[in-house]
Amino acid sequence: MGAHVALDIGGTFTDLVYFNDETGEMRHAKSSTTPEEFTLGIQNCLDKANIDLGACETFVHGATIAINTLIEQSGAKTVLVTTKGARDAYLIGRGNRPEAYNVFFKRATPLVRRGMIIEADERMGAQGQSILPLSEAEIANVCKQVAALEPESIAVCFLHSYIDPTHEQMMGQALRKAFPNAYVSLSYEILRQYREYERTSTTIVNSYIGPRVSTYLKRLEQRLEAKKFPGTLLIMQSNGGVTSVGVAGRAPVGLMESGPVGGINASAEIGLRLGFPQVIAFDMGGTTAKASVIRDGKPSTAEGYYVGGYAEGHPVMSPVIDVVEVGAGGGSIGWIDSVGAMKVGPKSAGASPGPVCYRAGGTEPTITDANLTLGRINGANFLGGDMSLDKEASRAALKGKLADKLGLSVEEAALGMLKIAIAHMTLAVRGVSIERGYDPRDFVMVASGGNGGLHAPLIARELSIPRVILPVLPAHFSAVGMLMTDIRHDYVQTHARSMAEADFEAIRSICDMFLKDGKELLASESVAPAQQQVNLSVDIRYVGQEFYLNTPISYEDITKADRDGIRRRFDALHLRHYGQNAEHRPVEIVNIRANAIGERAKMEFHPPAVGTTATPSTTRDVFLTDATKPTRCAIYQRDALAPGAIVKGPAIIEESATTALLLEGDEATVAPTGEIIITIGGN
Amino acid sequence: MAADPITVEVLRSALPAIADEMSHVLKRTSYNMMIYEVGDYSCAILDKEGNLLAQNGGGVSHFLADMGVVIRDGVERIKKFVPGDVILMNHQRVCGQHLNNMCVYTPFFWKGELFGFTIIRAHWIDVGGYSTGFGAGSSASDPWLEGLQFNQLKIYEAGKPNETVLAMISDNIRYPESSMGDLDAQITACNLGLKRMEELFSKYGEATVEECIQRIFSESEALCRQVIAEFQDGTYEFETEFDDSASATDGPIRIHAKVIVEGSDMTIDLSGCSKQRNSGINGRTLAAPYIAYKALTSPIDPVNEGSFKALKVILPEGSFMMAQFPAPMAGWSTALPSVIDAILAAMAPARKSMTPAAHKGAMGDNLTFFGVDNNGKRFVVQSTEGGGWGGRPTEDGPSASCTICQGDVRNGPIESLEQRFPIVVEQRGLRTDSAGAGQFRGGLGLDVKVRNLVAGRWNITQTGRHRVPPWGLWGGKTGGKPDRLVQKNGENDWKSVNANWYQVPTESRVIIRSAGGGGWGDPLDREPERVLDDIRDGMVSVDAARSEYGIVTKSTGKTGLDAIQIDADATKAARQELRAQRG
Repeated sequence: MGAHVALDIGGTFTDLVYFNDETGEMRHAKSSTTPEEFTLGIQNCLDKANIDLGACETFVHGATIAINTLIEQSGAKTVLVTTKGARDAYLIGRGNRPEAYNVFFKRATPLVRRGMIIEADERMGAQGQSILPLSEAEIANVCKQVAALEPESIAVCFLHSYIDPTHEQMMGQALRKAFPNAYVSLSYEILRQYREYERTSTTIVNSYIGPRVSTYLKRLEQRLEAKKFPGTLLIMQSNGGVTSVGVAGRAPVGLMESGPVGGINASAEIGLRLGFPQVIAFDMGGTTAKASVIRDGKPSTAEGYYVGGYAEGHPVMSPVIDVVEVGAGGGSIGWIDSVGAMKVGPKSAGASPGPVCYRAGGTEPTITDANLTLGRINGANFLGGDMSLDKEASRAALKGKLADKLGLSVEEAALGMLKIAIAHMTLAVRGVSIERGYDPRDFVMVASGGNGGLHAPLIARELSIPRVILPVLPAHFSAVGMLMTDIRHDYVQTHARSMAEADFEAIRSICDMFLKDGKELLASESVAPAQQQVNLSVDIRYVGQEFYLNTPISYEDITKADRDGIRRRFDALHLRHYGQNAEHRPVEIVNIRANAIGERAKMEFHPPAVGTTATPSTTRDVFLTDATKPTRCAIYQRDALAPGAIVKGPAIIEESATTALLLEGDEATVAPTGEIIITIGGN
Repeated sequence: MAADPITVEVLRSALPAIADEMSHVLKRTSYNMMIYEVGDYSCAILDKEGNLLAQNGGGVSHFLADMGVVIRDGVERIKKFVPGDVILMNHQRVCGQHLNNMCVYTPFFWKGELFGFTIIRAHWIDVGGYSTGFGAGSSASDPWLEGLQFNQLKIYEAGKPNETVLAMISDNIRYPESSMGDLDAQITACNLGLKRMEELFSKYGEATVEECIQRIFSESEALCRQVIAEFQDGTYEFETEFDDSASATDGPIRIHAKVIVEGSDMTIDLSGCSKQRNSGINGRTLAAPYIAYKALTSPIDPVNEGSFKALKVILPEGSFMMAQFPAPMAGWSTALPSVIDAILAAMAPARKSMTPAAHKGAMGDNLTFFGVDNNGKRFVVQSTEGGGWGGRPTEDGPSASCTICQGDVRNGPIESLEQRFPIVVEQRGLRTDSAGAGQFRGGLGLDVKVRNLVAGRWNITQTGRHRVPPWGLWGGKTGGKPDRLVQKNGENDWKSVNANWYQVPTESRVIIRSAGGGGWGDPLDREPERVLDDIRDGMVSVDAARSEYGIVTKSTGKTGLDAIQIDADATKAARQELRAQRG
């Protein structure tokens, strides 16, 4: 019990949220991210919020250093050691060309050039048998070749090491001894899963970013020490959990996509608290919108992703919160292509120059300009009055760049832009719900980011999602989520067997290993046994398929060898996801997985009660669905809405960093903990 | 609601999203690697006139906009459709591809009227005959030897399966557990497409949807015309030869591409190509000119009927690419990548800065090994291997990539192949000196060496670029030749082989060698540092650096990558000498 700080470094802003779970006190601050020296931005935030680190218990940190090191290609000089005959597996990749018709298509530039890849004469078979042993002489030979290349970092990935790591461990031990100053990653320690290209790429990314990330974490630790911080430093990971600095430094590849995780965890937690375990987390900022599905209070994870996109990216097969992203944000530009078709995005005016109305040199009409023109946002009170918007400039840009060219009125063009953007975002939300077999009518949407409240109710209408929730602190939502995040570690072991022939003793020993490793690691991070939890699952498919579905299991299923029960659960999942299953077909197990969770106390909200009647602060003409005629809408200030207050649409609710739009038929109520719950009409 | 620009834009994304969702479900529920790994399928929505409304992104590119003929033929023959019908079709009379490519389609009704169809063509792992794996290729000398033929058959009528036909299919294919599962996956995905179309029609109304579709077609056409209009008017030609490995008598085929640009119109005239013949290299397809045109005009945009409205193709009946039933077509796609390269090369003078040199140019750098494993289970190993792409005006060509006809086709991971099948992949490596030399060199080809742990049969037909390897442009050299090499158990020598169903004893080895890409520009203009990098990376040998590029190196006494350095004086002399030799 005590005070907790979350500090989230984003591309543009560094956000801080402070919460004292004894007093209920909450503070927040925002400052510009300082890419050249991150700790400066951190210090600015601490100063702004007047935080005494000496009195804090936890410091949760979300950093962009891992992803930036890869994107900027500023990682370490890395050598790869691999099995003889597989030297080029990393360079060849899968040989695919996702942009089939683009004769200039190019895959990701390898992080390790061919001359830096050393072969070891050894070979494991697919059943874990040693086909060619790794001799001491060969180990010495490899070390000599590696030494000549003077690496800062070394990655080792041998064929079939996921099933038997003996050779890889021998090689790793020798390399760690011979190169005490180099950063060494073994594929087995990062990912025990088949597919050599993807595993090699993941291991290389880890080695490549390892030195820089671990140095950064060390510096942060020292800085906190200097501030007399006595508590625990935790780092946000891509898998939806936090971890200690030690683990983060050894497997920094697990930090790559931690950015959206906080907001998604907060969406899940708030959904649960309000009695809505099925949530679609929706975040819309300046350049993109992101959607993610949460079932039974649990965010969904994917087993990996491609940094830089599927076509040209680096595969990283480390668990990541499953997010669908579209290039639609407040800064997305409306434009007309060379044959006269109207488009919105993915080009964005970003934060600079930003929308035309920002008066910062933007000339192309954006989504924010459209919203301003339609009266949906308040130009006089933007960002709590920190910035006044130029509505006339927005109108002029919409007129000149779109409306006149298409023969539309300015309002028609503005509404059209929103319609197109909503359609794009609706496809993204469909992508995480309907297309995965989930009915949106069973979900609520938690809307965050500067633009979430304006657009989520419109998307919800399209998809018949009955409710939209606007959380407290929507513009600091990611940092809020970091104070609602558990510790998490993921484990995988490929174990390919048909279900009928599966040796459940062997599976049990894998699970026992996961349980032991997970609990030991959690204990090392000071998680008490009562707060520890290890969840088991297996990847299953019908024999002959390639893609599998992750099917949760209990330890008892394994000890009882409940083949039928497990497969029935898989059949049901298959039916849900793909609209069909095949109960007569044999199934097979592919991977065994586990996640070890260390539960942490979570931030809570206690808004002051200021009276329950909702009184509009003013009224304004707003174009809602009809471009020819505005509607006189009541405007409310969120600060003045206390728990129990009810607002009926059409209406607008303003707060410092965001605005919510209620159409005719929508109705908002304020929850006891401060969230606004909008029931969507028209469904 | 009418076809205002906003609704048009909304439907422009909504229609391909339906085809993409069909693709997602198919891929994840399929039972053979040709679908889930190779992506050898396409999902599409067509109206009842056979106009293409949308096709999935990704997947194999040589299925570009080729469903129209299937639908038009089906509508003509079947005449009456009812909801719940499922039609099966692979007949070469119309489809013109190998019989493994099985079309499944379902009618879409709106308010009781037939509007169109959702359709999926997917490669089955076996359809009887010689079709096992990637297809019969050169093995089958007519369609009956190749496999089962389905000529617009209703396998479901009004939702009721025709159990007799289904049983007959199941009994006459080698892997019914795979293909019947794929059939189910195709039907499920087609039905999903129907459901999404219904949702779309009920939201926007038929009239608006139709009006928007017309707008989308005409905008796609206009975008293509804008690109073509920028090329210099004229007639452009290119000719090359391509080995017909399946024919013992006919020699290579001639590929002659003639491209006429006139304003915003383009004609691709392929009448100078060889006639159909008695080997499986024939097909009945516009894929080659369509892919070339797509690459020239709008490589990234989704495809629809408008995408090819401004293109005229001249491909006479009886050409090897417009062959008439019952010509053997089991190797229908073999030559298409080279035809596309030839069309692009013809246009190179008008697009010097936009045309790479030739790529590996042939389908068929495949691993195909089949037999019965030690547990008595029938198996077929399959993986598609990449080759070199041509050098580009500003950079080297990519190595080890699939052809322009394949797209998002992925090789089989070594670890996955070895888990499933009795083989050891001893090497999958880039082949030193296989890249065509050039100011910007081609990409490297591969050597994939596999040892089989049980006796079985290999499909190891030579590809068509065995004798005439991928060409260079603007002084660039040709890429390294492809080959198929075998070392049978007990033999020391590697033997070049051109055969399908080639039987080997256990513990034999096969090398699948793919071609390197052609070079772009004069190798003597290549920056010495780039050659040095290639030597350090083992992509170019010291000898080839000297003979091809006139780059001479010396050792520095250091270790690692710095062990060699360029010998500037010797390089200058060597380059002078090479230039002088040219006269």
